[in-house]
Order: sequence, then C-alpha cells, then structure tokens
Amino acid sequence: MDRRKALKNVAILLGTAISSSTIGVLFESFTLPENQKNHVSFSASDEEVLSEFADIILPTTKSSLGAKAAGVGVFIPMMIRDCYPVAMQQIFASGLIEMEANCIKAYNKNFLSLTIEERQKILVDLRTQTIESKSKASFFTLARDLTLLGYFSSEIGCTQAREYLPVPGRYDGSADYKPGQKAWATN
Amino acid sequence: MNINSNLKKQNTYDAIVVGSGISGGWAAKELTEKGLRVLMLERGMDIKHVKDYDSAMKAPWEFEHAGKLTEEQKRTHPVQTRDYPYNEATEKWWVNDLDCPYTEDKRFDWYRGFHMGGKSLMWGRQSYRFSDHNFEDNARDGHGNDWPIRYKDIAPWYDYAEKFIGVSGQNENWPLLPDGQFLPPMDLNCVEKSVKERIEKHYNKNRILTIGRTANLTVPHNGRGNCQYRNLCSRGCPFGAYFSTQSSTLPAAMATKRLTVRPYSIVNHIIYDKDTKKAKGVMVIDAETNETMEFYAKIVFVNASTLGSTFLLLNSTSDAHPTGLGNGSGQLGHNLMDHHFRCGAEGSAEGFEDKYTYGRRANGIYIPRYQNVGNDKRDYLRGFGYQGGASRGLWHKEVAELAFGGDFKDTMSLPADSWSMGLGGFGEMLPYYENRVYIDHSKKDKWGQPVLAIDCEIKENEAKMREDMMNDAAEMLEASGMKNVKTYDNDYYPGMAIHEMGTARMGNDPKTSVLNKWNQMHEVSNVFVTDGSCMPSIACQNPSLTFMALTARACDHAVKELKKGNI
Repeated sequence: MDRRKALKNVAILLGTAISSSTIGVLFESFTLPENQKNHVSFSASDEEVLSEFADIILPTTKSSLGAKAAGVGVFIPMMIRDCYPVAMQQIFASGLIEMEANCIKAYNKNFLSLTIEERQKILVDLRTQTIESKSKASFFTLARDLTLLGYFSSEIGCTQAREYLPVPGRYDGSADYKPGQKAWATN
Repeated sequence: MNINSNLKKQNTYDAIVVGSGISGGWAAKELTEKGLRVLMLERGMDIKHVKDYDSAMKAPWEFEHAGKLTEEQKRTHPVQTRDYPYNEATEKWWVNDLDCPYTEDKRFDWYRGFHMGGKSLMWGRQSYRFSDHNFEDNARDGHGNDWPIRYKDIAPWYDYAEKFIGVSGQNENWPLLPDGQFLPPMDLNCVEKSVKERIEKHYNKNRILTIGRTANLTVPHNGRGNCQYRNLCSRGCPFGAYFSTQSSTLPAAMATKRLTVRPYSIVNHIIYDKDTKKAKGVMVIDAETNETMEFYAKIVFVNASTLGSTFLLLNSTSDAHPTGLGNGSGQLGHNLMDHHFRCGAEGSAEGFEDKYTYGRRANGIYIPRYQNVGNDKRDYLRGFGYQGGASRGLWHKEVAELAFGGDFKDTMSLPADSWSMGLGGFGEMLPYYENRVYIDHSKKDKWGQPVLAIDCEIKENEAKMREDMMNDAAEMLEASGMKNVKTYDNDYYPGMAIHEMGTARMGNDPKTSVLNKWNQMHEVSNVFVTDGSCMPSIACQNPSLTFMALTARACDHAVKELKKGNI
C-alpha cells in the first residue's frame, strides 16, 4: 500500500526519523564492483561501544527497556557491513574511531569507561557538530538511524515501547485514542 | 530433434497456457473447467499456497536486516531495487536482473515476478472496471486504434470475474467507473470520511471519493478466509484472503484433474505449422537443466505478462512470420503504455487527536476520473484518478533534529499528534507508436536467449496532466480543511507503476492490430493473447480485473470455436 500513500519519505512510515543520507543508501541502488565485500570489520569491543552508544540514544525508561537490551549493539555493525557501500562503511568506521579519540581528549578515558552523563555529553557534542557541518553522511547520523531502525523493529521496541498486534482481525478507522496510548508497532 | 511417437503423445494437450500469473491462472481454470486437458507452463519456481509463504507470519524482529536489502541483493537486482516492492520480506519473489537482462533505450523499470502465480502474489489488488468512455477514447481523439469491443461485450465477464475472485467495494453509480458485484466495502477512516464529505460538497458531487475496490475478501468467499487486516499481502496470505493464482484459480483448475503444471519451463517460441497456418505447440527451455523440449496442443494461450508475451511472439519467427508471429500489421512491439503516477499532494488533518486506527487496512481511497467529461475540459486529453488515504503515523514534527534520549524514545513510542492525508494520481498514458519494444540480439540472457530492448517515454500530454494531478489534489485537500498542504512529484519513469500494457493490441482491422475482438490472433487462429499486451489503451484504472474478464471471455470463445471445428 505504501505507494498509494502520498508520503514522500518511506522511512517516515516506519516511524523513525531517518536522515536523508541513510535513506539514500537504503533505498537507492548501487552497482558495486563484483568483488567488493565487507571492507570494515568490528570487534567485540566495538559492539560493546555501539551498544552503549545506542543506549544513550534510546535508553531504558519507565515504559520500556532501551536499545542495549534490544540487541542493537550487534545490529548496527552487522547492517553497516551488509547493507552499506564501502564509502559509507568507512565514514562510519572512522567516525567511531574519532568518537573514541574525543573521549580520551575530553576525559582521558575511553567511551566504555565514561559515566552515563559523560557519554551523554559526548553525544550532545557530536550532534551539534553534525548539525553544524551539514554533512550528508556522518557517523552520528548513521549510528543514530540504525539505532532507531534496530530498536523499533526489535521485539522489545515492538512489544514494550509500542504495541504489536500480529493479527488484528478487523479494521476500525475511527477508534478512540486513549491519552498516552502507545503507537502500533507496524503499519 | 528425434521425438518418438510416445513422447509426442505424452507431450500433447488440448491447450497450452504460457504463464501462471493473473491471466494465465484464469486461462487454466476456464479451459480445464470447460473440459480441456491443459498444460500450464511457468518459467520460474513453484510456490505452494501458504506452505511456501515463508515470510507471511514473520514479526519485524525475525528479519535479519529489519526489512532492508543487502549490498549483494542490490547487486543482483539493480532494477528491482529501484522501488519499494523489492524488500527483505519479498526478496525471493522478484527476478534476478543479472540472469534476465534487458536493454533500456530510455529508462524503463521492468519489475518482474518469475514464479508460479507471477505478480498475482505481489499485486496491489485494486480492481476497477473500464467504462464505455474508456473504450471509446481512442476513436474519439484518434490516438491508438479503436477498441474492437465496448462495455456491453465485457460487462457479463466483469460480473463473472468479480463473483469468482471476490472484490470488496461500494457501488457509486459513477459513469466512468462502472459498478460491480461487490462484497461489503472496507471502511473509510474518520479523516477520509470527513474529506469525502467536504470534497463532494465543495464540488457539488462532480467529484466523488469512495473506498478502494480491492480483491481482498471482507467476508469468507468460496472457501477462502476473509482479510485479517495485517497489511502484509505481498508476502502471500495464509488466509487466502486476496486473489492470487495460488488462492483462487489454481485450486479451481486442479479440482478438474485436467491441469498439468510444469514450472521451470521457459517458452522460447511458438512452433508454427505453415501448412495448417496454425500454432503446433511451443518449444521450452528447462530453466534448471537448459534441456529443450516441445509440447503440442490444439490452442495456445499466451499469458506470459505484457512484455514476456510480446517477447515470445517477436521471437517466434518463421518464413510466414518473419518479424514475429502474427505481426502482419507491424504493430507487434509497439504502443507500449504504463500508468504514470508518483505525484499528488499531502496535508495534515487537525481535529482528530482523539481518534486512532485499529487494524491495518490493505486498501485506500479512490477518486475516479472526472476530467474531460461533461463540462470539465482540460488542455490535455483523457485523465487520471487518485488513490491515497489518511493515517495517523509516527512523524513527530515537534521533535528536534537528530534528537535522542529517554524523552525522545517515549515520544517516538506514541502516535503522531495529527493525522495526515495524501492523494496520489494515476494518469493515463496515450498509445504512441514510437513507444515500443523489440528484440536485442546483441545480448543474451542466462539461457542463451536474446533480450528485449525497451524504448518508452511519457510525452507532452502526460506532462501537462501531471501538473493537474498535483494541483487538483492540493486544491481538494485544502477544500477539505487540510493544513500545510504540499504538492510533490517523485519523478516517474515508465514501468514503475508495474502496469505496462500494449505491444500486441486488439482491433477489428488486421492491418492495424495483432488480435481480433476475441483476443485471437488475426493471422493464427489458434493463438490467444489475453494479458496486458492486448490492450489498445489503458485508461487510468488498475487493469488486472480487465485482464481476467478478457481471459474468461476469450476462453469461452476459443472452446466454442474448437468444438465447432473452426480452429
């Protein structure tokens, strides 16, 4: 049904505010040279960092567990390797290294050793930088977009943060909305 | 080729149907039900109803890449990747573009489903009738050739098709959109109801908005279950709630015990007998083993999808038919059309904050064509209709750019504050002789066959129409009280609607058409072509219901002719 909705941005229907650079990558076709495979690789420690990063983006709140619990730490690097062309993979990988370097510069500790507040500050700065640079693709937008995608398609995201209804059985287009009622997990 | 007589007998049927999609499945059903032994040849893999719908019941978290495509999938599907239908959930059901290349003289997005059921598994299910106004348009303005039929010829077959497949909809008594044999309509939602009321009042009922007419069941029908409002149709429906070959025509044909189905069977050409001046049968390449074989029949139905069928006919050359089977008119391959769309308007609806949806309706609204009828005159010919709908999505405009954190997550867990409504136009493309396909012998596909070259573009009439498609939509949304109304044009290339039609058109005159009014080849009396390739014009309505009606009608005629000894 998507094409019959007059909404330009397909990603909006997923309910995640995916940036235009990520949309471009996920929805456009690329013709890669035949043997171009995963050029970057991520360590277990990288996955841990990304897991904690994602948990700052979408932390545990009263209503639902956060991105770490939802397994987004493993999802992000997997998507970078499988679904992104080399150029984007490299932007992501070098951005991750740069973030670590920023942590050392600011606190003399690596990301995993920072407190929650310190991590939040690192991300606030990254966000500010990203907005100011107006760059189309950056580590922060890629990592944040994939956090949103991974979280809101995860079991925790779909069943705790939102409401998952596999077989509705009927359609009511004028149902009452109760204040604070969660969004449906799928369209 | 040395064929022993036993093998020849084994390979002989009353009828061969090439293709198992929307129209092929219908041909198999009709011909077997009328007593013929039928061989249905499908070029791709088998897909069994329900059993092979691998992704139908999967939750979002059961898709490794959250529905996105991998780089490898993009590499092997460079054309299918160009638009939304090819995704992780449906990825087995779209053609590998590298195995089946084609030449684009101008960009043409050719979306193909090479498997049992064809695109009847992934189609949009919108089912509308053509009206006499549509059938008369070619003769009226001189573009294309005159249709050899009128509404009265096809009306009983529309009835027949709708009654079998089950179409839910609302009768509206709108001349350009004839009413049908409908199951109860799905509901408009609260915003759509309001927009409908306001549009119809504002334009004095010279425009109407109705619920989409969709081949989804709203009540159980012929042993199939009704729609469960999951909106995952294109993954295959475990309830059989929408029409597909698998859910509907194939079981009916199998029940006759007169149908043989052979998957992995690529029909390379129709074998022509110059002495009888009829088709003898077909030559098949086995898609898995590359072995070639022949099958024989008294009649051949060509239902390989518009461009698949025309490729087959162009590739079936002989001394008597040097430019393709039945191509004495020179029209074979010409007059390619597709609906142009991907433009319209959207806006936000305020005042519905206390309403939400329950269930996911696999259907939208429809505004039938109102241009160039009565007093409505435009600076272009023919016209367009709108599909669309309202929804309460997840777009939170109040959220700061690149926001994150606990409050952000909690906000994103709620629906948007306001509903939004969109109208997307579907416009008619005129038949232009220069929009054509032909065979490109400089390239080969995976099986050594030449490929199709496609040369198609929209022209001035379509460009002018697109302006109105956007502006009319914006005007209607504003008249309905929508705010922040914006028009959009997301760029359209031919093929994107996946409604490609024409290239083997029907007509009364053998000098200007390939098929007669029964979809029967003028020059080869036992060959019938009833898929999209037969269309002399395309109106703006979704075409599949018309393919079904034409197929059933042509089968009825073919069997009668066979029994009379005329073919």
